[in-house]
Amino acid sequence: MTAIALSGFFGTIQQGRVTHIRFWTYIGFFAGAAALAFFGDSGYDEDGFLIRFLSMQGVIWGGAGALLGLGLSFATGKSGQRSPSFIENSVPWLDGLLLMMLLMAAFTLLEPHEALISYEDQSNLISGRIVMAMNLLFLFSAVCYIMYLFAPESFIGKMATMAAWGGVYAGGTSLFLRWYESYLFLNGDIGHAPVSNLYEVFILLFCVTSSIYLTFERRYQAKAMGAFVMVLVSAGVFFGIWLDSIGQADIKPLVPALQSYWMKIHVPLNFVGYGSFAVACAAGMAWLFRERLERRGSASMLKIFPSLDQLDQLAYKAIAVGFPAFTLATILGAAWAAEAWGGYWSWDPKETWALIVWLFYGAYLHVRISHGWSGKTLAVWAVAGFLVTLFCFVGVNMYLSGLHSYGRLA
Amino acid sequence: MPQLYKSIKPFLLRFASMPLAIVLLMVLAIASMIGTVLLQNQEQADYLTQFGPVWYWVFRGLGLFDMYHAWWFIGLLGFLMTSLAFCLWHNVPRMLKEMRSRKVKLTDHAWKRMQHTHKLTLPDRDMEAVAGKVEKITGWQWLTYQEKGFTYLRGDRGRYHKWGYILVHSALLIVLIGGWMSVQFGFRGNMAVPEGGMESRISYVKGTGSESLDMPFKVRCNSFEINFFPTGAPKEFRSNLTIIDQGKEVLTSDIIVNEPLYYRGVRIYQASFGDGGSKIGLKLFRLDGSKRVDVVKSEVYKTYTDAESGISMEITDFKPFNVENMAAPGEPKKFQDIGPAVDFVLRGPGLKPVKVRSFMNPFIVNGQNQGSLMMISLTGDNRDFQSFFLGPDLTKPKEWELFHAFSKKSSGIADGGGIEVFKAAVSEVYGDKMPDDFRDVGIRTLQGMQMLPSLPWPFIPLLDDYDQVYYTGLQLARDPGMNVVWSGSALLVMGLCIMLYISHRKVWLVIEARERGMRIRVAGLANRNLMAFDSEFNDLLRDLEDNLGLSQQGASV
Ligand code: HEM
Repeated sequence: MTAIALSGFFGTIQQGRVTHIRFWTYIGFFAGAAALAFFGDSGYDEDGFLIRFLSMQGVIWGGAGALLGLGLSFATGKSGQRSPSFIENSVPWLDGLLLMMLLMAAFTLLEPHEALISYEDQSNLISGRIVMAMNLLFLFSAVCYIMYLFAPESFIGKMATMAAWGGVYAGGTSLFLRWYESYLFLNGDIGHAPVSNLYEVFILLFCVTSSIYLTFERRYQAKAMGAFVMVLVSAGVFFGIWLDSIGQADIKPLVPALQSYWMKIHVPLNFVGYGSFAVACAAGMAWLFRERLERRGSASMLKIFPSLDQLDQLAYKAIAVGFPAFTLATILGAAWAAEAWGGYWSWDPKETWALIVWLFYGAYLHVRISHGWSGKTLAVWAVAGFLVTLFCFVGVNMYLSGLHSYGRLA
Repeated sequence: MPQLYKSIKPFLLRFASMPLAIVLLMVLAIASMIGTVLLQNQEQADYLTQFGPVWYWVFRGLGLFDMYHAWWFIGLLGFLMTSLAFCLWHNVPRMLKEMRSRKVKLTDHAWKRMQHTHKLTLPDRDMEAVAGKVEKITGWQWLTYQEKGFTYLRGDRGRYHKWGYILVHSALLIVLIGGWMSVQFGFRGNMAVPEGGMESRISYVKGTGSESLDMPFKVRCNSFEINFFPTGAPKEFRSNLTIIDQGKEVLTSDIIVNEPLYYRGVRIYQASFGDGGSKIGLKLFRLDGSKRVDVVKSEVYKTYTDAESGISMEITDFKPFNVENMAAPGEPKKFQDIGPAVDFVLRGPGLKPVKVRSFMNPFIVNGQNQGSLMMISLTGDNRDFQSFFLGPDLTKPKEWELFHAFSKKSSGIADGGGIEVFKAAVSEVYGDKMPDDFRDVGIRTLQGMQMLPSLPWPFIPLLDDYDQVYYTGLQLARDPGMNVVWSGSALLVMGLCIMLYISHRKVWLVIEARERGMRIRVAGLANRNLMAFDSEFNDLLRDLEDNLGLSQQGASV
């Protein structure tokens, strides 16, 4: 269960020189994109940006940045030296992002003819089909992870992991594609980032949750936990399918309050928080499950389970990722509120629930270091915390009114 | 004084205790929930009807209708601040001292607490050389100490971990202080400025009432406009404002949602909009058989009273666009603008007051003219509007005439006279020049014959023309605590990252001479992230063995 050394092909490309070069190339690429946003032909145009980036301009600016970064990495790096762990940890994420963008670009070529796409009938858009694939992959992965618990053969485990990765890529690609598709009708008037309604953020949540878990799986070999994570994700998948069936999956114009670059920062960051809390919840559930197994003494399954102590550590790790991200997201939300509504804090139900979630996990961190609390309390706390998070995320939109109306079901 | 201090110290320390912190955080979390379930700052009358008099007064007494400003909630926050302050006061000096002092020598007692221990033996006895080689291992801060034939080494990583704690807790205190400053020295309120009008007073809700405040400048609204998406959803609200300070126009600028204006410490936000008193022209089609049509001029927010009948119309709103979904249920949505409409409440002697929405244009769907339209809500609630198709398209004077001609000719005939009578009425009104949509005119007239006589009023009020004026709803706020809150927030995030990602890892080496060679004991301790420390400790052992040339001999025990 200690961090394992990566081996083989993936090991080679995740370490050392290649990583160093790739990291700086990415940084250059993003810097180029940012430069296009600010210094390109028509200046910073918030919502037309993606379209511009997908054109020749994007290739030129992004490519120039990437080349610059590449040159810089050759000039600075020494061969044979290990990169700092920060770089090694972030490069796989950047790889994934790039791959999703390339997939998105490829799929844009397959979009049906203009005449078949309209605001009134969005069923021909390709992203919808990719979401379908994502749903299937996640459900399949959940089934495999559960089978793996009973038949811990590496073959089933590998399928589970691969399906989960596939789901993450499908989800990410479909979101990027949706962003592009939002420009396809009504003269491109309503184009916006795909983080504006419950359906879209659910896809985001699946991807974030799964990729945080998959990172843990790779680093700590906590595969038995996958069943719990993927069951949570699958429950979400069914919710998403239901949203689609009641017509909540359509791309709709943004209300003026949401037309802000803050949305693109605030919402995804919040979901890093939510996703980590979901993983912590799964670790808590796995803890409680293992404890029962231990009492019953079912040895076969125990073999593949991480120990109670390790599960506790995993829950803590997930919360340690989520808590600062959630804190920052809430602060940025306050900054947005200050800009849009004239006050950084209005005790709006969504804000208040964010505070409640934050206090809840703050208390968890304190409970952890104060002595005399059992592992069971912490596991239950992690599970309960996610229930509070869920209410903050879905419940508030469905049951309470307020300024954060974006997720409300019409 | 020291005596007093000593006697209250245990009490103060209780404020700084961890269980109290946990309880306080949970109590705050639970208390905050109340205000999200119970809608805040509504009309008192609504609360009264919702809860009944007993619970109403209990809840009101507890301040639950403006809970986040109630004394007990503020008290809780104050308690949290006190607790944080004591917690810092108690822990910071200790932590600073701990970060400075690094005990190199390890007692046997301390040895037992170690998470990792390991033993090595070496054949030679040159302790200094070994210590020198250990200090070459990078990534750790080394200290050496010698005593009674023992050499002790200590290595640290993430020594400044405790700053995380200090930053997080003081940042929280700073954020709370900033929040207090915002409430104490700032303000936030709304003003409504009609197009062409000027305003300098804001009003805001305080407790169960409303208060107002004068700004040191005036705001004039030059224009307000709304842009729509093709779906009819609003796309942008834009106000053009001029600030007038001591009689001089100092600043003119557009504001939209998310892009406020800043003047003399006050931010001006686009918050809402509404009708600012549009000029309204109404036509009253008299139903007394006289064919008379009176033209009436009024304004939104004014009441027009018809002298003849004593009926009054209180005009409440005007909208130039009314986009409605025209599709039948189940079909894909189809949006269409059905044109300008005015809302008014109609009252009169012997009449039940009703709310009316009167349209300017006839209702035309799929190219078919279905005549003039009105909506009526018996409850006065906008959600209860029901459509009434009056029959004739009253924007065409001939149809109004035709209605009268037909009703005159057919009155007294038992079955209404049928098609012949209708044809006679048409030729009387139109002569030889028949209207193109003759069939539709017929349908409309018949509808009118049924509809119009059943109306309880002596006239039909229809919108005739308008000159629209909006008001723009602005929010003005000054917040001197905001920057304090931002600095606290920045410290908070920094502190959290230090606290959660940088753990303090310590390793000790105790080198002692034996009869033959020497023995090295290695121990390690981390205060969090124990899984990563496992591998870190193993890495250190590997480095150690490499540096001491042990790896080839496999001499570790
Ligand atoms: C009520 C006043 C509070 C007191 C008395 C208090 C006390 C403490 C103490 C004694 C520690 C342990 C430090 C250590 O030895 O490492 C701690 C850690 C911490 N406190 Fe507080 N605290 C308070 C409020 C808060 C609040 C409101 C938050 C924000 C949610 C917070 C966040 C943290 C965090 C994140 C840790 C680190 C937990 C960890 O080490 O994993 N504290 N606090």
